[in-house]
Amino acid sequence: MYWLSGGFVFRRVVSPFHRLDPRVKLLVSIEFFVLSLLVPTVPAIALILFAILLVSAVAKSLRRIGRTIAFSGFFAAFIFAVNFLFGLGLFNAILYSFRFLAIISSTSLFFVTTSPDELEQIMKWMRVPRDVVFAFVTAVRFIPVVMLDAFQIMDAQKSRGLEFEKGNVVKRVRNMVPILIPLVVNSVIRSGELAEAMESRAYGSTPKPTSLYVMRMRWYDVAVALAGLLLLFVLTLYIYHFVSFGV
Amino acid sequence: MSAAASRLDQKRPIASVEGLSFRYPDSQKPAVKDVSLEIGEGEIVLLAGPSGCGKSTLLRCLNGLIPHMYPGNYSGSVSVGGLKVAETPMSTLSQSVGLLFQNPENQIFMFSVERDVAFGLQNLSVPREEMRSRVDEAMRLLGVSDLALRAPHELSDGQKQRAALAGVMAMRPKLIILDEPTSLLDPKTALEVVSLIERLNRELGITFIVVEHRLELLIPIADRLVVMDGGSKVMDGHPRDVLADPRVEGYGVSVPPVSRLYNALVKDGVRLPKVPKTPEEMAEELNAL
Amino acid sequence: MAIVGENGAGKTTLVRHANGLLKPTKGTVLVDGVDTRETTTATLSRKVGIAFQNPDHQLFSDSVENEVSFALRNFGFPQELISKRLDWALNFFGLEQYRKSSPLVLSGGEKKRLTLACILAWDPEVVVLDEPTVGQDSLQKEKLAQVFRMLQSTGKTIVIVSHDVEFLWPIQPRLLVMSGGKLVADGEISRIMEDRELLEGARVTQPQLLRLYSGLKSRPASPFLDVADARTWVGRGAG
Repeated sequence: MYWLSGGFVFRRVVSPFHRLDPRVKLLVSIEFFVLSLLVPTVPAIALILFAILLVSAVAKSLRRIGRTIAFSGFFAAFIFAVNFLFGLGLFNAILYSFRFLAIISSTSLFFVTTSPDELEQIMKWMRVPRDVVFAFVTAVRFIPVVMLDAFQIMDAQKSRGLEFEKGNVVKRVRNMVPILIPLVVNSVIRSGELAEAMESRAYGSTPKPTSLYVMRMRWYDVAVALAGLLLLFVLTLYIYHFVSFGV
Repeated sequence: MSAAASRLDQKRPIASVEGLSFRYPDSQKPAVKDVSLEIGEGEIVLLAGPSGCGKSTLLRCLNGLIPHMYPGNYSGSVSVGGLKVAETPMSTLSQSVGLLFQNPENQIFMFSVERDVAFGLQNLSVPREEMRSRVDEAMRLLGVSDLALRAPHELSDGQKQRAALAGVMAMRPKLIILDEPTSLLDPKTALEVVSLIERLNRELGITFIVVEHRLELLIPIADRLVVMDGGSKVMDGHPRDVLADPRVEGYGVSVPPVSRLYNALVKDGVRLPKVPKTPEEMAEELNAL
Repeated sequence: MAIVGENGAGKTTLVRHANGLLKPTKGTVLVDGVDTRETTTATLSRKVGIAFQNPDHQLFSDSVENEVSFALRNFGFPQELISKRLDWALNFFGLEQYRKSSPLVLSGGEKKRLTLACILAWDPEVVVLDEPTVGQDSLQKEKLAQVFRMLQSTGKTIVIVSHDVEFLWPIQPRLLVMSGGKLVADGEISRIMEDRELLEGARVTQPQLLRLYSGLKSRPASPFLDVADARTWVGRGAG
């Protein structure tokens, strides 16, 4: 729960990285993502992880990304264990687990530094249909609300003697029912109210609504984008060369 | 004194309901039965009645959700700002009449206040510069300009209320309907909302229809009190007159203690010169006796 | 006892300590001599029943009778006792005709009564009502006031968290005022409500009858508790 809310929720911070055009932020994260899948050696993946942490520091989000990595450590260790036990070798085991961490942290970096408004703009730019964009943004906007609802429901049911910690797996699953049903019912009621409010503010009048914000690439956006692409290109060539000639 | 009372000339009706009846498709009884009502421009109208009396249905008939979003058995006519509601699309109607629902949480869709205030304008394809100035204006009027970039879950109840109202105001409607705006607020915040309504009415001439159970909050600023019961309009007049009418207590409306006292005293033969709107007024009158 | 204060003053937070939903970071909370940190919410709830504000955050069963027996089953009541308590609760709250209906189809006022029925079914010694009158119209409030009077007569300890001063005034409870997370007043409601400065600071309003009383030049020794009180006094004065 905390891992999710810490690592993938946007936080408003002033930093050079945050100031970048959202498309460039997306590009940087994709670059890290792709690189981590391509590199074949442990030192290289370690370097990439380091680079991600460096950029996180520039984005003043080091602690957040660090925490994401820490919480994902569990899964990473699991990946390591499975690979090692299946005889794929120590280096590969480390490589794959580090790769996992790099993928998670580069994704986390993107979501922590990009606001839902910016996500909306990216989706519009990618020509995602109006309704899908709206559904996505509204869903993100209501995450904290639904979470609060869930806690209040849990409080109410705990006060009626419901105990979460006790019981076997079957019992615990059954104990979720008094939480899930009110949550779902409330969400349905909420959707109805949202629909009325949307209609009342003319939603759907046009397939192409105008926008309050506009994305504009500035010189530093172009610079970062070009630098990133160049690096990716060079490294891909190097890896290709490296892999072709083996070690 | 409201904008309406200070007008010297006859009030033009901004909304008129004639013989309106509406029955939801899966229901036997009509929710609204033969209701006729005229709202003058600049009035502040208080609409009261017990749960199930048809208030919510009437509001939705005024802003167009009925019949556009909720079709059903519809007869009679409703017009707002000269437009026939049943024949005008919501996109046009929303620029004449705005409806603020009870729970501000479920009317704020976007991640930041200013982005949400712009919501309606985006749907109307308003160009960016104009949108920017209208959003800024609406936020300024509602006193939420410094909350422009805040996320809704970071706002207090009162702030959410104002942010949602700003979103409605940005559409520049002449008539704004508020459905139980204070029910989830504490009394002090509720009073702030009331003075906000009064100010917007006075400065901009916006007509307000407010549905409210806590009558004592709105009575000081209302020009009219309309009571509904069982789908029909049963009382309609100046708040002082309606509250002085002993029938009002029988309609399941929360009559404020001071008004109940007035009516009880009348029964006892104690006649006060004026029907008091506030306890302070009543104290004055009693002191004078 | 009533706890008043603006939204966010800490009323609900305070009350959640009564059954262990929240444990204190400093100081102790004792329920019947037991430190809440040493036991579970389920155990404490047996003695302290909290009726939360929003019925939609609680109702989930396929029938009203299952809804009311939910807590009783959790607390390990024997089946015979469950039936007895269920019958009593449905009767007391006028919900017998809905016994087999789904709780989700009840009206707002009925849902509110149902949540109270669920709590009273297990007969806690202390009943906490969190904003019982929010969103209720006058008929529903009347019914609630009736239920409340019946509760009072059982001699239970009742705590109402509310900002509805008009509802609280005739009851004349011991009043606790909260503001900014602190307790700023604790005592007689008539005395506290006359302190305008205190109320201003805590953003609490005065009930109408008290405002009327304060504005009168000649007045009885103590403020009017309800309309009938005031009416009698005026009658005597005018006559």
